[in-house]
Amino acid sequence: MDLVANNLSYKPDDQYHLNEVSFNFKEGNLYTILGRTLSGKTTLLKTIAGLLTPDSGEIEFDGKNFLKIPVWERNVAMVYQQFINYPHLNVFENIAFPLKQRKIDQSIINEKVMDALKSVGLLGYENRKIQELSGGQQQRVSLARSLVKNAKILLLDEPLVNLDYKLREQLRDEFKNLFSKGLADETILIYSTTDPRETMELNGEVIVLDEGKVLQVGPAKEIFENPNSLKVAEISNDPPMNIIEAKISDNQIRFEGIDVEAPQHLSKLTEEGLKIGLRSSDIELNENGHEFEVELAEISGSETLLHLKRGDTKIIVSIEEVLNFKIHDKVKINFKIDRAYAFHADGKLASSPFGGLNG
Amino acid sequence: MNFKHKYFFLFPGLFVLIGILIFPIIFVVRLSLSGWNSYNPGLDYIGLENYIRLFTDDPRFWESFFRLSFLSVTTVILQYVIGFALAHMVWKDIKFKRFFRVLFLVPMMTTPVIMTVIWRTFFHESLGPVNDLLSVFGVAPKWLTDPVIAKFTVIIVEVWQWTPFMFLLLLAGLLSLPKEPFLAAAIDGASPIRKFIYVTFPLMAPISIGAIIIRLIEASKIMDTVYVLTSGGPGTSTETSSFYIFIKGLREFQMGYAASMSFTYLIIMIISLTIIAKVLTKVLLKE
Repeated sequence: MDLVANNLSYKPDDQYHLNEVSFNFKEGNLYTILGRTLSGKTTLLKTIAGLLTPDSGEIEFDGKNFLKIPVWERNVAMVYQQFINYPHLNVFENIAFPLKQRKIDQSIINEKVMDALKSVGLLGYENRKIQELSGGQQQRVSLARSLVKNAKILLLDEPLVNLDYKLREQLRDEFKNLFSKGLADETILIYSTTDPRETMELNGEVIVLDEGKVLQVGPAKEIFENPNSLKVAEISNDPPMNIIEAKISDNQIRFEGIDVEAPQHLSKLTEEGLKIGLRSSDIELNENGHEFEVELAEISGSETLLHLKRGDTKIIVSIEEVLNFKIHDKVKINFKIDRAYAFHADGKLASSPFGGLNG
Repeated sequence: MNFKHKYFFLFPGLFVLIGILIFPIIFVVRLSLSGWNSYNPGLDYIGLENYIRLFTDDPRFWESFFRLSFLSVTTVILQYVIGFALAHMVWKDIKFKRFFRVLFLVPMMTTPVIMTVIWRTFFHESLGPVNDLLSVFGVAPKWLTDPVIAKFTVIIVEVWQWTPFMFLLLLAGLLSLPKEPFLAAAIDGASPIRKFIYVTFPLMAPISIGAIIIRLIEASKIMDTVYVLTSGGPGTSTETSSFYIFIKGLREFQMGYAASMSFTYLIIMIISLTIIAKVLTKVLLKE
């Protein structure tokens, strides 16, 4: 049972929320929609769920026109980024709600709800009120509510974004567990997120969305290794990939008075307006390196993000330890240039270290 | 906070409270223990005589009280149902939403006494347009002179006049509801009707209780409608407590006796409204 969409467009104001989006989702698979905020992820999920009707385009599920089926008969489940539950019901009643809509025997409901509670680790909380739970627990309740009905399509709209760091890690692991249990082979799982790391960890098929348009589709590894454009490279890296305007001549990459020997996959690119892309983790501190000035140093978790500047070129370096820098300090860095990407002036990928479009 | 002039600043509020609330209540209690009437206007002391008369020798008061209970409960239930339906209608995105929202409030903006005069004209048995229309079907109900029908005429006018207030409270309630549970309910497979029963209505329960209590208090003061429409008639068939107290006190000038009725009425209302609020909370909020 495939979920197929053709040229979905939705333009409620002067901006496209969805712009000719097409996809073919197969059952038993996990799809990750990666995009920045306002890229149309939520709109897309709402369209699949039936909460929004697109201006044009079609969605078919199991060969049937999905747009003709009202929301409540679509058999989809959805978890939202805000923790949405029923404030007037307790935990048990919340999770039982979807089942109650189907005239299912009470004993089966009890059994299913208990199973769902167990799988999200909330056994013993049945009689609590929703408001008495923490954010993470509330989100687990809504996850349990979406699991309990065995929907054919499960939509998860940035389910972790409003949780704190620790809970996010914890729930992410639980998600992975749930997904790897197979979650029934006939479910289509669609997970939207802004976080590239989450995308990589979930390791499903990725759809990169920006301004309502699909930029690239492929397995997570492929998106990470061979982003087909500058935009995708920015979206699929956090912090975004560093983009350096450079020239390649005589086998040297030249920018801001620095000459770096070009690796083999870049050496033949001599065109004007070339942009070199380098991940922040592919730059390291090195005594013999090139001198840059510190503009800002932020410590995030166990990482230090250094915002550096030299001339008009600004780059971000991430260092796997906590270091203290002062603004305007001078640091010396080295580029792992064999991991560099090159993009044409129009943003298209020119060459990647993983063999994409070598040339 | 220890501020030695605090009583000075409390005084204005306290003064107003004493003047308009505490003193009148105490005075009514004292008055109810006197035989003040037009022959004997003075605060003499006759003990509980008025209360004994009220509880043993005045079925008219109790009849008017039960009539009032019937009228106020019926009108408030009708107002709640109709008000909820209207509010629910304009809560959704429908065409001319703003127009309807204002339209439904119009009755509340009119002067009750004047509207009642107009209703009385409407329901006039031989000259009114209602019976003129009904004459097509060959019927002519005695809207104002039949003891049973007259009660329903009062109900119709009250419902028309005060449903907008209920509508306003319930619409405000609906608009303040979180949107998310409705999204969730749709996805969880609840059809619009089930969504109303399992989500909208329970979420509206606290507001409903408030609205019903407010309207019950207001409805039990019903006076102007009865006064203008039927003057309590025919006979005493539409007479309510407040109207009866008004007759005894301000027409027959039995001030002492009217005061004892007022005070008894106040106590009954406080007790019964407390019970009603408790019951409503239990039924609607399941607490």
